[in-house]
Amino acid sequence: MNTSSILWVNKYKPKSFEEIIGNYKAISEFRSWLENKLKGKAVKHAALLWGPPGVGKTLTVEVAASTYNLELIQMNASDFRTRYRVERILGRASETYSLLGRGRIILVDEVDGINMAEDRGGLNAIIKLVDLSIHPVVLTANDPWNPNFRELRERCKLIKYSRVNVRSIVSFLRKICLAEGIAADPSALKFIADRSGGDVRSAINDLQSVAFGKRRLTLEDVNWIAFRDRQLDAFEVLRGIFSSSNCRAAKAALSRSTLDYNMLLQWIHENLPLQYTLIEELIGGYEALSRADIYFGRIRSSQDWSLLSYALDLMSAGVAMARRRKFRFVKYNFPERIRLLSQTRTFRSVKNHVLSAIAKKCHVSKRIAGVEYLPFLKVIFELDPETASGIAKWLDLDSASIIFLTGSYDKAERILLRM
Amino acid sequence: MVTATMMLWTEKYRPKNLDEVVDQREVVERVKEFVKRRNVPHMLFAGPPGTGKTSVALALAHELYGEYWRRNVLELNASDERGIQTVRERVKDYARTMPIGDVPFKIIILDEADNMTSDAQQALRRTMELYTRTCRFILIANYSSKIIEPIQSRCAVFRFQPLSNEDIAGRIKMIAENEGVNIDESGLKAILYVAEGDLRRAINTLQAAAALGVVNDKSVYRVVGRANPLEIKEMMELALNGEFIKAREKLRDLMVHYGLSGVDIVRQMHREVFSLTLPEHSKVKLIDKIGEINFRMIEGSDEEIQLSALLAYFALYGEELRDTG
Repeated sequence: MNTSSILWVNKYKPKSFEEIIGNYKAISEFRSWLENKLKGKAVKHAALLWGPPGVGKTLTVEVAASTYNLELIQMNASDFRTRYRVERILGRASETYSLLGRGRIILVDEVDGINMAEDRGGLNAIIKLVDLSIHPVVLTANDPWNPNFRELRERCKLIKYSRVNVRSIVSFLRKICLAEGIAADPSALKFIADRSGGDVRSAINDLQSVAFGKRRLTLEDVNWIAFRDRQLDAFEVLRGIFSSSNCRAAKAALSRSTLDYNMLLQWIHENLPLQYTLIEELIGGYEALSRADIYFGRIRSSQDWSLLSYALDLMSAGVAMARRRKFRFVKYNFPERIRLLSQTRTFRSVKNHVLSAIAKKCHVSKRIAGVEYLPFLKVIFELDPETASGIAKWLDLDSASIIFLTGSYDKAERILLRM
Repeated sequence: MVTATMMLWTEKYRPKNLDEVVDQREVVERVKEFVKRRNVPHMLFAGPPGTGKTSVALALAHELYGEYWRRNVLELNASDERGIQTVRERVKDYARTMPIGDVPFKIIILDEADNMTSDAQQALRRTMELYTRTCRFILIANYSSKIIEPIQSRCAVFRFQPLSNEDIAGRIKMIAENEGVNIDESGLKAILYVAEGDLRRAINTLQAAAALGVVNDKSVYRVVGRANPLEIKEMMELALNGEFIKAREKLRDLMVHYGLSGVDIVRQMHREVFSLTLPEHSKVKLIDKIGEINFRMIEGSDEEIQLSALLAYFALYGEELRDTG
């Protein structure tokens, strides 16, 4: 089966305007501009479709091309970098007809992706295209409000696209599941739609990544998406901090994260020795983390949250400034300690049970039970099953506790057989 | 064949009355006086671990209440109770009912009272006053200086002295004889050495070493070796050799699997530093760092991060050592 290589966003791409979900007003505005333009009426030279990603801007143009039987010439803002390409584009834009005798529609995707500082020329080339083209030109952008785009904006009919509502996304996802033969829990689809933030494309991609090859999709299946997002988020923050060459950049990297600071502290702690292999870097980095932790402690005891900014600055800028060599790429790890703590939860609860039993019988705290009794008990349980079975009865220990104290099933069995 | 119930010897040989208490003669004489008068004040027992504080408190209860002692004594432990609020609640519930027998008050033993913050101690002082008519408090602490002045002034303060080696040896020999344990002179000496005046530790060491058969210096040190995980030394050595990440893994192992607290680990590091193969002046520098990190752990919130920072310093001194020769 090689169907896995087909992206569902393409497989289920709408073929007509009616199939597109959301942004109905924007689409009809666009259609009337295009129809007027095709009839040669005096309208703006170009249309600029702007709004968040994944809501159907490019899709609108693709559907328009097939609906109005136009040849779609699609390019990216980066295509305007080299003169050779620009000339080719301008040439095609000024030809009256294509080889097939059809009209054309020219799409420049993501014009705001152009780098203003380096690419003044690129923007000028796009303006030139808009001015010279005899075919309709459509531009898309997430954010067209950069002052540098003013000249371009003035030449365009601006059409605003918005996030698509959750209900529409859920019903679209349901259609896909139906077609794929997947029984999906409504709560699972709702979860995917909710976290897409109105981005239909990412919702479909997420659905495919969790549902592909399944007959049934539950809320549990989709939960890991959130986990993956958090992980990606942490990777970016770490890279941001460890590669910063000034305090401001390091602080900015930290503040971009949606993770809570305690979790971030664990991520930095886990990966600091992977990133900083020079001893001076290690010392400097840990000194900063240690100082940050002291502020966290002071916040906890004083409940004075105004101290938080010092802690955050130390764990970002403080750690970043410890770097002595050029930043290099390393693979980051999930905080091992958090994994350990969740894996050993049963272990710790059994241990806690044993300590409570000792504390009760021996008139001591659990802390003292752990330090002054547990190590000796372990020796007895390991080596002397006879005595151990008596003490186990006295302390009223269950088999899990006995296994904990002996450290092995075999030795625990020798004790349990005597009880 | 099992005849008597088996139990930990620290409990089996805990004194049943004040005369059985090992040493602490002054304390015992004064407490006996209170028993004779059937009236006791609030008391503060202060002294090092394993010197008989809890034993005296329990023996006092036995002598006052006889067979009803359990119903007239509430044992609380400051380090196990969740905050002063729960201490107050439990005292309130307990103080509501009348004592059983002819003594007109009940006893509340609060162990590890010096682990309470001074705010909690202030609240405790008010609680003590509130129930003075029906309850007497026995506070137990390692350091009387960590108990706030207003509480000390309301208590009769008893200072427990570290036990002498003769006293501990006498007790150990008695238990060994009673239990039919084969102990030789080297075993006894080793127990005295590791116990450092702490009778509880001495008895626990004896019982664990007895599980190995003969109690001699070898079996005692084997037990102690297990009780003080070698991993701490290994962890320090890994860090000194520049294997920071492996050292940190050991640290996690100690904290998660052995369940040692950060403070336990840092104290043991302090003890072990002297046995590392390092120039003496480096040991002094490390001691200073260990102290600094111990201090930061008290102020900070994440012991593993603080200890990792300490391991980084071990790595630094290790590298300096290799550089210079």
